[in-house]
Amino acid sequence: MLNAIKNSFATDDVIVKREDLYKVNVTRERVFELLAFLGNSYEYKILNAITCTDWIEEEHFALTYILTHLDRKNTIMVQTMINRENPHINSLSNEFAQAEVFERDLHEMYGIDFVGNENLKELSLENWIHTPPLRREFDTLEFVNNHLTFREGREDNMDVKVEMKRIRAEKKALKEAQEKEAAAKLAEETKDGE
Amino acid sequence: MENKHITIFHGPQHPGITGNMSVELDLIGETIQKATTHVGYLHRGFEKLIERRTVIQAFTIVCRICVPEPDPNEANFAMAVEELTGLEVSERAQYIRVMVLELSRLAAQFLWMAGQSGSVGIYAVGQWAIADRDRILDLFEELTGARVYHMYIYPGGVRRDLPEGFLQRVSELIEYMKKRLLDYDDIFINNASFKNRAVGVGIVNKDEALRNGYVGQVLRGCGIKADVRKDAPYLVYDQLDFEVPTQEAGDVYARALVRRAEMSQTLHILEQVVAKMPSEGSLMNKLPPHRKFKLPKDDTWVKVESARGEFAYYMAGDGSENIRRMQVRGPSLVHGFTLLEKLLVGAELSDVALIMNSLGICPPEIER
Repeated sequence: MLNAIKNSFATDDVIVKREDLYKVNVTRERVFELLAFLGNSYEYKILNAITCTDWIEEEHFALTYILTHLDRKNTIMVQTMINRENPHINSLSNEFAQAEVFERDLHEMYGIDFVGNENLKELSLENWIHTPPLRREFDTLEFVNNHLTFREGREDNMDVKVEMKRIRAEKKALKEAQEKEAAAKLAEETKDGE
Repeated sequence: MENKHITIFHGPQHPGITGNMSVELDLIGETIQKATTHVGYLHRGFEKLIERRTVIQAFTIVCRICVPEPDPNEANFAMAVEELTGLEVSERAQYIRVMVLELSRLAAQFLWMAGQSGSVGIYAVGQWAIADRDRILDLFEELTGARVYHMYIYPGGVRRDLPEGFLQRVSELIEYMKKRLLDYDDIFINNASFKNRAVGVGIVNKDEALRNGYVGQVLRGCGIKADVRKDAPYLVYDQLDFEVPTQEAGDVYARALVRRAEMSQTLHILEQVVAKMPSEGSLMNKLPPHRKFKLPKDDTWVKVESARGEFAYYMAGDGSENIRRMQVRGPSLVHGFTLLEKLLVGAELSDVALIMNSLGICPPEIER
């Protein structure tokens, strides 16, 4: 099977990850062709998941379609890269019923438009108008500072790191003072003894 | 007739499942015409949090992804990290992991039993099941220091050795459970008030089950022998002897029978684990300090069989100490949307909780 993929899809990017896990990298133009090929010729007919990884440095998303064989023994990951700017790719929801909700999830979290999926409404967020939250440029801390306020009665909310530093310094000073005192006492005692 | 159609919200708090999730139901009379799942009451952003944390810091949150059974999450996380970094786990540690996973499976099945019986109004079973689950949690507390979130199956091994006499206490639990499960047969599984409600309700179509990505008891309830422990064995499951129970009917009752049979199989596995547990072997690999524990630029897909079916993680590293991406693929996303919205059409309003419970949906796992 792996050789057939290499020959038909002119790719050398076929990796055996584990005895029962393969990975293929293809261009986005040929990804659906490959998925259909795997389904029709080799019975990889169960779509387990669609995952997305944000490679912000390389300016693309890596979309991975994970398919399992009908005998449920082997799994193949088909990975393709799509541009981070205005990301879009065709939907798989006509071929696989479960793809609809997978794509809905990725649409919400990364802002990817799955062309042909008519049910891309919000899943777990509500009235979200900001950057899709799983994109790398979305900074959780900045968002919290800009959009949320602390509850009343927590005005003393201090930076934990600064506070811990202060407590450590205090403890250290106390310990040093005690040691100094003990040393002085000892010196006095030895003096008395003489 | 005026007001023929009624739309109601079933949930977010309801007897259907543990966790908050609602189903919007369009009804004519008592019959459901359309069901729409709504989630978003529990969003905690685990996948986002994990991207900003080191491997060991991320380990402390994965168990919180599903409350009723945290251990498959820990096992998946540990297995994914081990695969990416090439860590080997000793046989003893693997046996201990299997024991923890099976005990957690049993605990989760009791929790299911409590919910499923509650959905038909047999509340005594709920009280019993929670009490029996507590016996397992007692063992967990002794072994790991925690009752629910154990944080025990650590990348590289397990966190602690077994306390003295622990295997003896596991054996006692097995003996107790063997007798006790027969009581559940009488009061719950063979009880007419459950059977009459559950037979013929929520029938899953066998032809589309596999292809649509359903897992666990939903598949086994309609006659497909799917179990990750047999299909793609992990840990030491290939050395253990057990059956994968199946039923043909595909309804709520078939799924209940499968679950009940699995509880007996779990006891059978635990017996073997106790007998075969190697007495020697390292429990834990030596790991680098957590700031220097780096994952290579690589990705993987690992899966285990949880009490509710196949449970998988996708994990990608980027050469730094953070995890670039970790995606959870539990049974709930597909069961809660694709399957539930389909099964509820044509069902009666009073059967909604019954059907939901039999699918093993866990909302925290949808909104990870």
